[in-house]
Amino acid sequence: MIAVTTDGRDIDLEVAKLSGEGALQKVRPVDTHMQRVAREWGKLPTPDTSDPTYYGRPVLKEPVWHWAIPLYFYVGGAAGASLVMGSAAQLDRSGELENLMRRCHWAGIIGSALSGAILIYDLGKPSRFHHMLRVFRPTSPMNMGAWILSSVSPSAIVAAMFAQRRGILGAFGEISGVASGLSGLALSTYTGVLIANSAIPVWQESRRVLPILFGASAMASAGSIFDMFFEDRAARRVTYTFGTVGRAAELAASIALERQAGRVPHVARPLHTGASGFLWKTATVMTAGSLLLSVLPGRSRKRRVAAGVMGTLGSIMMRYGIHQAGVASARDPRATFRQQRAGHGAAELD
Amino acid sequence: MPAKGFFTDTTLCIGCKACEVACKQWNQLPDDGFFFTGMSYDNTVALGASTWRHVAFIERPVPLQTQDAGAFSWLFSSDVCKHCARAGCLESCPTGAIVRTEFESVYVQPDVCNGCGYCVVNCPFGVIDRRSDDNRAWKCTLCYDRLREDMQPACAKACPTESIKFGDLDHLRAEARARVEDLHEKGLREAYLYGEDEHSQPGTGGLNAFFLLVDKPEVYNLPPDPVVPTKKAKDAWTSMGVAAAGMALAAVGAVLWGKER
Amino acid sequence: MGTSYGRGGATTFQQDLQNADVIVIQGSNMAECHPVGFRWVMKARERGATIIHVDPRFTRTSAVANIHVPIRAGSDIAFLGGIINYILKNDRYFKDYVIHYTNAPAIVSDEFRDTEDLDGLFSGWNQQTTQYDKESWMYKGVDPAPAAGKREAGADRRGPIRAEHTDPTLQHPRCVFQILKRHYSRYTPEVVEETCGIPKALLIKVAETLCRNSGRERTGAFCYAVGWTQHSVGVQYIRTAAIIQLLLGNIGRPGGGIMALRGHASIQGSTDIPTLYNLLPGYLPMPKAKSDATLADYCRNNESPSGWWGEFPKYFVSLMKAYFGGAAQKENDWCYDYLPTLSGDHSHMNTVADMADGKLKGYFVMGENPSVGSMNGALQRKGLRKLDWLVVRDFQLIETAEFWRDAPEIHRGEVKTKDIATEVFFFPGAAHTEKSGSFTNTQRLLQWHHKAVEPPGDCRSELDFIYHLGVRLKKLYARELNERRNWPIRDLTWNYPTEGPRHEVVAESILEEINGYTTSDGKPVAGYTSLKDDGSTACGTWIYSGCYRDGINMTARRKPHWEQNWVAHDWAWSWPSNRRLMYNRASADPEGRPWSDRKKLVWWDEQKKRWDGYDTPDFIADRPPSYRPSKEARGKDTISGIDPFIMQADGKGWIFVPAGLEDGPLPTHYEPEESVIRNPLYGQQCNPARMEWRRRDNPYHRAFEDPRFPYVLTTYRLTEHHTAGGMSRWLSWLSELQPEMFCEVSPELASERGLANGGWATIRTARAEIEARVLVTERMKPLRVRGRTIHQIGLPYHWSSRGIVVGDTANELIMFVADPNVSIQESKAFTGMIEAGRKSKERRAVTSGAFVKQIDPEYWQRDLPIARNRGGGPHDSKAVETKEGNM
Ligand SMILES: Nc1nc2c(c(=O)[nH]1)N[C@H]1C(S)=C(S)[C@@H](COP(=O)(O)OP(=O)(O)OC[C@H]3O[C@@H](n4cnc5c(=O)[nH]c(N)nc54)[C@H](O)[C@@H]3O)O[C@H]1N2
Ligand SMILES: Nc1nc2c(c(=O)[nH]1)N[C@H]1C(S)=C(S)[C@@H](COP(=O)(O)OP(=O)(O)OC[C@H]3O[C@@H](n4cnc5c(=O)[nH]c(N)nc54)[C@H](O)[C@@H]3O)O[C@H]1N2
Ligand code: SF4
Ligand code: SF4
Ligand code: SF4
Ligand code: SF4
Ligand code: SF4
Ligand SMILES: [Mo]
Repeated sequence: MIAVTTDGRDIDLEVAKLSGEGALQKVRPVDTHMQRVAREWGKLPTPDTSDPTYYGRPVLKEPVWHWAIPLYFYVGGAAGASLVMGSAAQLDRSGELENLMRRCHWAGIIGSALSGAILIYDLGKPSRFHHMLRVFRPTSPMNMGAWILSSVSPSAIVAAMFAQRRGILGAFGEISGVASGLSGLALSTYTGVLIANSAIPVWQESRRVLPILFGASAMASAGSIFDMFFEDRAARRVTYTFGTVGRAAELAASIALERQAGRVPHVARPLHTGASGFLWKTATVMTAGSLLLSVLPGRSRKRRVAAGVMGTLGSIMMRYGIHQAGVASARDPRATFRQQRAGHGAAELD
Repeated sequence: MPAKGFFTDTTLCIGCKACEVACKQWNQLPDDGFFFTGMSYDNTVALGASTWRHVAFIERPVPLQTQDAGAFSWLFSSDVCKHCARAGCLESCPTGAIVRTEFESVYVQPDVCNGCGYCVVNCPFGVIDRRSDDNRAWKCTLCYDRLREDMQPACAKACPTESIKFGDLDHLRAEARARVEDLHEKGLREAYLYGEDEHSQPGTGGLNAFFLLVDKPEVYNLPPDPVVPTKKAKDAWTSMGVAAAGMALAAVGAVLWGKER
Repeated sequence: MGTSYGRGGATTFQQDLQNADVIVIQGSNMAECHPVGFRWVMKARERGATIIHVDPRFTRTSAVANIHVPIRAGSDIAFLGGIINYILKNDRYFKDYVIHYTNAPAIVSDEFRDTEDLDGLFSGWNQQTTQYDKESWMYKGVDPAPAAGKREAGADRRGPIRAEHTDPTLQHPRCVFQILKRHYSRYTPEVVEETCGIPKALLIKVAETLCRNSGRERTGAFCYAVGWTQHSVGVQYIRTAAIIQLLLGNIGRPGGGIMALRGHASIQGSTDIPTLYNLLPGYLPMPKAKSDATLADYCRNNESPSGWWGEFPKYFVSLMKAYFGGAAQKENDWCYDYLPTLSGDHSHMNTVADMADGKLKGYFVMGENPSVGSMNGALQRKGLRKLDWLVVRDFQLIETAEFWRDAPEIHRGEVKTKDIATEVFFFPGAAHTEKSGSFTNTQRLLQWHHKAVEPPGDCRSELDFIYHLGVRLKKLYARELNERRNWPIRDLTWNYPTEGPRHEVVAESILEEINGYTTSDGKPVAGYTSLKDDGSTACGTWIYSGCYRDGINMTARRKPHWEQNWVAHDWAWSWPSNRRLMYNRASADPEGRPWSDRKKLVWWDEQKKRWDGYDTPDFIADRPPSYRPSKEARGKDTISGIDPFIMQADGKGWIFVPAGLEDGPLPTHYEPEESVIRNPLYGQQCNPARMEWRRRDNPYHRAFEDPRFPYVLTTYRLTEHHTAGGMSRWLSWLSELQPEMFCEVSPELASERGLANGGWATIRTARAEIEARVLVTERMKPLRVRGRTIHQIGLPYHWSSRGIVVGDTANELIMFVADPNVSIQESKAFTGMIEAGRKSKERRAVTSGAFVKQIDPEYWQRDLPIARNRGGGPHDSKAVETKEGNM
């Protein structure tokens, strides 16, 4: 006889236990995600018939990704942009940019390794990360991303190992360098597609800008990192130019994004209000600041570092801002309703 | 195997929540906690990882055309995963955990899902969610296990008024159209179908679980014109191309331009 | 229903509701409380029927109805009376039906005086007993035996009812029809509006819809449940609907009838084979000490010279044979003296009051949770505290089993656990899946369920418990078994076969006994028509006879509906004789032809010389429509070919009930014990015959306009929970759906009392104070009565202190007061106060002792002077004399 705990009826409690895969879950109690409703208590539950919602409850589920994902966007972006710079540097046959190239490759290797780690960390079931590569599914940007990410490190490593060699190996290294640059291009921009390919109104609405913004921001990020950490006279101008173009493009893309999303005013709301609005606006200011610093005459190290810091902060805050805006957008049923009522649902496709 | 699905006729629903309980019982899902919401009789709030059927209660200051009860009516609607013909969750799943079954339903394979959470933001109806313990995505299976045994889904079986009709989609669609006509004849002009086919909901290619409603979709917390995100992703992919090209150009330019000085 | 039609059960079955052209659901929240049966209402709606829901609240039933009529709780007789008035005034009744099948033509005694003449009282009020003497209500020249209710009255003067006592032209001023007309003439739309708060136009709309959908071609049905029964005039609520249905010709016809929706899974079963103190199985009355000293007296009091109850002795003798087997012989009056006799009212509230006064030693609580589900929780627990022992059998450790350590008065320190001497025994019960047996559902359908799993641990079925209790009692008395007083135990037949590892009684063997058998060879009888009064048959419950016909368990039949017609005879088995629609002879005209093709059910087949139809005819199978009894006819032979109500002494549906009721032959509007307004119709405020318990631990508010308690309170159920919660508050899947006790209030009341949706409110009566969450909803509508606004507050009553979700109990608020006919409490309409915020810890939540010091000077306004100074209640009970002292 197995000893069992019994209740007052002397009933084997195991009898009533839920079993099976569904049963094991521990559920977040309703009240934690209901706090907002609790605050609305007191208001009479009379619906607004002209602009109805279901008690103001969200239609969509919030993104479940936590802090690691915006960080991944940033790190991955910076790594990818570095690799792009690295493979562009191959064009220079003078050897002056060898250092830059090496640094780019290493930034790519470290960055993509870190990205992978962060990504796995964010997974609900990290032990199953490799399931990402079970299939090849072009409709899933995340699946594409997994393939991209997994192609980055090998090519970057090969490039790092052989690019400076001569002969066959060197050629192999150079081809790998170009490949790593291509995957870097993909790595730093696909994340824009990743979130644009979603039901979240603010992301979906700004889908035409997001990859550009993310790409530009990746350039700015990479530029800023090089600005801050390396003092390579030969490469300075290259990274500086790359970064500055990135900053300018990031700023332009930010403005474009706001306008894109703002085609349905309600959809852009998270960019103006709340935590997401704050992050977004500050990011823009930072990026603008770093751009200003980098285009003003004079190239002191101090100023470059300052521009780098601001640029980095701008890029990071931008990613968090976008992430938070997505969360806020999912929470707001009217964002979905108005977007679709404005003809920006499926109607837009005709 | 003919495509199977649900036709949920909300005008027949009496808000008894038998479907909610039957689903939980069959699938052995735990409760969502005990919290008085003050939202009419709805205390489970929304669909989620532990609630695969959810009955909405709408008190509205608008009369039904067939009812004499003052300027008021109370609507019920039992919501569920739509098993979309073009399913955002399925198309976005990077692991292939979500598959289309022989019944044309959308099924998450629990042993494959790695909890990336991408399906969650890709469902235009806010249906699928991650479990809060092991983070796997979890939603209505259309009772795949029961269908395999030639049984109907637990929720439909439990519904006392046949508000939830389960069957071959072709039949259901025909039935639903006839039903709308019938209701119109009876004076309930507001009745219409939501998502019954590709024509009525091009964004999703039609829902395998569609509804008969009598007010705007928003009232029931349903999106008015949902679209599977992949359909719009082309724009983003294009932009990505532009971005990549621009970036490549910028890099090349920087190297060439930087070197010249 | 028993007094009006002859049998105390729903006249129809739920599947038949789909054939209705109009369905009035009143006094029930059918969609929420009977969701599975409600599918047939939805079917009817889909077929074009109009669904009308009359309810103080807009509920899930109202949500799918065509018309919702918000009504002031406790005013239904006025509303239905208004409909009767409309029917009569506009000549909308079904003439052929009324003349032939009802007692409308009967002429009533010259002594009869109506409430019209006596300001709300009928003739016969006896100031001494404060009850009615009912002689003056009888037909002129003859006393018909009632088929239900109090049957002993007037047994001496009984005789068959004959044509000379009637006026088929309905013109005689003292015929039932004319009396009815006069009685309801004051129930005008204006008066209804003043009484019920229902706009005139709405009443007329409902009345018109009903009339339009009745007659030869069309039929309408009524559905009710405890929204009607739980009033101090509850039986008369149902009577009013019974009258409407007779006037409109809606009884015994498809799509017609009155669907009494019963509560618990087998609550119909528990009145058929009763758990009621005053009945033996099959509605045979329990012998009364006063009037039934001998078997001869008992039979004389209960046998009717006319109609089906002439068969009474056969059923009784067969029952005694089933109880006592060989010991029951003609010589010893079939052991009649073994039966206990009633000395008074032993209904629930009386018993509890007696308990509280220390008159009871022990108490079995099986499948009930009175501490939560019964009125005045504090008084309930006070009773439990005074017991020596208490046995509780349940699935959970319910509040009734835990009253000694978890109760409001314990938490507040008014009562200490160590002062409670009651010894509590808890027995775990087996659930229905863990035992075999039958349920008798709301439509008298017996359905067998088979054991699916063994009960866990020590859980056992009731059958097992009772059986072993019997075995042990026999053992306990073994040494003294031959002492005369122990003969009932000695002779009780108790030899049931057992099976399985736990030696459980074979449940089917009980069904066999219920069905009945011939004593010589033990062969099952075919039905109650085979029962004899000579001891050659034994039968546990005559109305169930036939359920085990030919040794086949008829109740376990499960032929699907697609293999048979809509009546579905081969699904399970219903009493009587597997009839699904009772009194269905009335679906044919006097000549035996269906009233219309559309509403065809049974008919006289001239070729076969038999009644035939879709349902089993509820008539003597070979009695032609043309049959008329001779003057000498007795018993069954008095039933003429046009008497569809065969259980009635005159074979007719009783519009006017000359015998069997305590509070009048015609329904009359009285206000609830506690009301917010004065009775707009009569000087008599409340039902004069109501049962009261005037005790200090059961205080009443003023009869009307009590400034301390200005709101109407009503209580009800939610789909998500079950009654006192024993089966739902322990289940997470149900508990999450309705997690907290709440009250429903209108936005107007919320702003008047400063209540916030989702916040807390305290609700108070003189009995107790409880707290609840507030649900502000437009489903609660304030009513306008004479320029005044009347607010009603809704309270579900499912919560208490144990289980997964807990909350205060609505029943702490409610007093003991009851309908005089069936002793059902008035829990659907009373008064109270509501305030924002939670109840304070110090204030008493419930009474635990003397509570009200003085009688309220306004108290007497309930009754006309002649009806005051109430002494003992009905049933000869002395309910009001208590140690607590009269108020
Ligand atoms: N889900 C569920 N189903 C149940 C039960 C349960 O607990 N839960 N209990 C079962 C039992 S035991 C029973 S007895 C039945 C009871 O079934 P119902 O009688 O249908 O249930 P209630 O909710 O008690 O009351 C019905 C309605 O009466 C209304 N009412 C109150 N006062 C009045 C009045 O004066 N006049 C009129 N016209 N209406 C009034 C109430 O607002 C309520 O909506 O349900 C059975 N079914
Ligand atoms: N205010 C207010 N009060 C009311 C009413 C109302 O409308 N308003 N309605 C009244 C009505 S109609 C009713 S029926 C009562 C109901 O009141 P109760 O009968 O007191 O309440 P239940 O919770 O139904 O109690 C039944 C118990 O039986 C247990 N049980 C179930 N099956 C079995 C079994 O097979 N064996 C044993 N031993 N136990 C079993 C359950 O666990 C449960 O605890 O409430 C009444 N009280
Ligand atoms: S409703 Fe959402 S979860 Fe269900 S199939 Fe469609 S996209 Fe997937
Ligand atoms: S969470 Fe699971 S089911 Fe959802 S997209 Fe990721 S792998 Fe697929
Ligand atoms: S189909 Fe099955 S899993 Fe889906 S909601 Fe219904 S019962 Fe639940
Ligand atoms: S079971 Fe049917 S009637 Fe009940 S809530 Fe669900 S859909 Fe509505
Ligand atoms: S609980 Fe049982 S009796 Fe009540 S409606 Fe449901 S199935 Fe019928
Ligand atoms: Mo009940």
